[in-house]
Amino acid sequence: MLEVKELTIVVNGATVVNRSSFFIPNGKITAMIGESGSGKSMTVAALLKILPAGANTSGEIRYKSANLLEATKEEVTAIRKNEFFTIFQDAMNSFNPSIKMDRQLYAFSAGRIGEDHTTYRKKMKDILGKLGLSADILDRYPFELSGGMLQRCMIACALYVKPALLIADEPTSALDKVVQKEFLKWLRLLNENGTTVLLITHDLDVVTGLADEMIVMQKGEIVETGTVSEIFSRPTHDYTKRLLDSRF
Amino acid sequence: MKTRKNLVFWCSLLGLTLVLTLFSDVLATHPVNEMDLDAVYAPPGEGHLLGTDHLGRDVFSRLLQGGKVTLTVAGLSVALSFAIGVIYGGISGYVGGWTDSVMMRILEALISIPSLIFVLAFQAIMQGGMWGMTVIIGMTGWFTTARIVRSEFIRLKDAEYVKMAKMFGTPAWKIITGHLLRNSMAPLFVVTIYNLAGAVFIEVSLSFLGIGIPPSVPSWGNMLYNAQNDILIGAWWIGLFPGMLIFLTILSINFIGEAMKDSGRGRFHA
Amino acid sequence: MTVKWVGKRMMLGILVLFIVSFLSFFIMHAGPGSSATAYYGGNAQTLTAAEKERISKAFALDRPMIVQYGAWLKETVTGNLGMSASVGRPVATILSERLPNTLLLFGTSMLFIILGSIWLGMAAGMKPGSLLDRGLSTFSIASSSIPAFWVGILFIYVFAVTLGVLPSSGTRSLSGDGGFVDKIKHLIMPASVVVLTHVGLYARILQDSVKSEMRSYYVMVARANGVEELEIRRGVLCKAFIPYLNYLGITIPSFFGGSVIVESLFSWAGLGQLLVKSVMVKDYPLLMGGIMLTGLIVVITLFVIDVLMYILDPKLRRGELSG
Repeated sequence: MLEVKELTIVVNGATVVNRSSFFIPNGKITAMIGESGSGKSMTVAALLKILPAGANTSGEIRYKSANLLEATKEEVTAIRKNEFFTIFQDAMNSFNPSIKMDRQLYAFSAGRIGEDHTTYRKKMKDILGKLGLSADILDRYPFELSGGMLQRCMIACALYVKPALLIADEPTSALDKVVQKEFLKWLRLLNENGTTVLLITHDLDVVTGLADEMIVMQKGEIVETGTVSEIFSRPTHDYTKRLLDSRF
Repeated sequence: MKTRKNLVFWCSLLGLTLVLTLFSDVLATHPVNEMDLDAVYAPPGEGHLLGTDHLGRDVFSRLLQGGKVTLTVAGLSVALSFAIGVIYGGISGYVGGWTDSVMMRILEALISIPSLIFVLAFQAIMQGGMWGMTVIIGMTGWFTTARIVRSEFIRLKDAEYVKMAKMFGTPAWKIITGHLLRNSMAPLFVVTIYNLAGAVFIEVSLSFLGIGIPPSVPSWGNMLYNAQNDILIGAWWIGLFPGMLIFLTILSINFIGEAMKDSGRGRFHA
Repeated sequence: MTVKWVGKRMMLGILVLFIVSFLSFFIMHAGPGSSATAYYGGNAQTLTAAEKERISKAFALDRPMIVQYGAWLKETVTGNLGMSASVGRPVATILSERLPNTLLLFGTSMLFIILGSIWLGMAAGMKPGSLLDRGLSTFSIASSSIPAFWVGILFIYVFAVTLGVLPSSGTRSLSGDGGFVDKIKHLIMPASVVVLTHVGLYARILQDSVKSEMRSYYVMVARANGVEELEIRRGVLCKAFIPYLNYLGITIPSFFGGSVIVESLFSWAGLGQLLVKSVMVKDYPLLMGGIMLTGLIVVITLFVIDVLMYILDPKLRRGELSG
């Protein structure tokens, strides 16, 4: 589905990601794990081409036939819009506080695939209901909702557009345990509907029982890749071993 | 780094203006009120560096002396409004509660009144000389200072060291001057800098309208007041130089304020 | 909640007017030569004893100051502002003649300032690092450092004296028909001076606000998800307008003060020029009336801005719901 080859990211002279190569298989849930500052979020930023000014990249990010690092702005926008969906960590700040949820969720879902507002209202209410949210949140402003509710709204949009690839960058770290569990359940549902998932996290608990594949990152380098069951039973790298040990 | 360089540049420019005007007695080439009726409207050149006005008075000497008057009025009035603002805002912020809300409602109302209107009203009854003018500008310029002092005091009042000082029975005035006021100096300085620009503006504007400093006293505003007619007969130098000095003075004050604000912003974030 | 909020803002407006009236009354009465005769409007010789009696009774002139204030306030509220001391006509009549001119100048310049600053601020803020972005910051500081009257003198020198394309002062030409075109011709210079010396300042506030919003988290999230750029910018503007409007509200009083100077320079027959004139000739009733009317205009303008804020800032609106 998505293949990264020798990706290097240098931000203002500091190498934050060094010659990383990995592969995200189609239809699976891949977890990328590592501490904060290990270069996970920078890798995501490179995938989405939202790196900060002053960042230089080399290597290749292959999606379908295109190399995302060399794609034009229009091509990247088209991919972000038609193929990907990205959920970020800070749900509280993911929405514009001056605009009602209705309009923003429309822009994140039906607006991307060109559906009209009436169809959207009907479908979205349905999905929100499934996620345990009442339809009147559409007439609210983001600051009137909790972080958990907002993150569920994001998932609702993902369920609406059924993207080819869902990227979730630490989506649960700002949520409490109960909401976290539920959130992961929705990720699984999405995956079962044919969406490939890339889950970035620092929390091994999140990976257990959810992810199929695993990529372990440390200090800007990829130290281990493989299926979750393989890595959990036979970790090869010291860092992975320590990571697994600290879990208990 | 760029901010720092800018700050140095604008400070030097303002400093130069201050030195030139403060030492006007030494630097002036002619007595300010000496009329040379043989050299009325002399253009800039020999004998009169920046020319003469409609009474043959030396523009250069009047410019320096006028700057002294304008900047003295502005400086003293800002000092006065600083004092009033600190006292008003200090009481409001330190006492808090009911007193604070009443004082703030009044302040909010005062801020909504164009200060120039206030100044006009005072000016009507005080027949302002130079000192009257200073008092008037000072009495109408303290609103923002008060607001800043109040919000800083409220913010600092909850700080650990202030609570400690209170616990040890430090007298209120010591807490206020030693802790609260000292730690509000940075934002206070920025607002005072802008107040200075505002005060120069008001003096110059009122004198220009002919209701400021008495016309016999040279000030930048008064010089421009006279220059209105002179320009029509082509004596551009009488109005140009005071105008440029006013512009440069306010410009340097504004840029200094800007630089202070930027450096403050950087520090508060750290 | 809306009713409560409107009520609160109106109370503040009334408090402002009350303070303005209080100050102007006591200042005027503390001044030299501001005795009862001021109310006769310079007609002390021609008024009959009965008329004097009526005026003195209406304004409680033989009573203590505070009672006089009450009487004056009552008369003021009902529209009787007394007689002008210098012209001998009712203050209310003079003010009503001046008001349209001031509103014309104030309204026109405000309109152009708002349109211009929104356009400039948006264009500059959306393109960080561009020439416009960097230029606007400098222009803003420079233009707000030039006294308006200085620009005005320059304009008169260039457009009226040298080129002779625009009238140098007044609201209408003596020879002209006093019609619409003539008025606009007279309006161009004072309005341009006000606009030029203010537009940069307001544009800069919007520019800074747009710039900081464009860097915000929610914009990054929306971009990463391929939300239309137009939709993102629309949202950013909604948010960026809040500090802009706030600044507009804070500076309206000083903006109004500044137009006093421009009116005087161009002899624009408005309230500002009237105020300056009445200070010069110490016409207290006229000055008091003028100050009150100015206060009223500022209060109304502030109220309009408050309402706009209320509409645009959902936090303000929804905050009231829970409070």
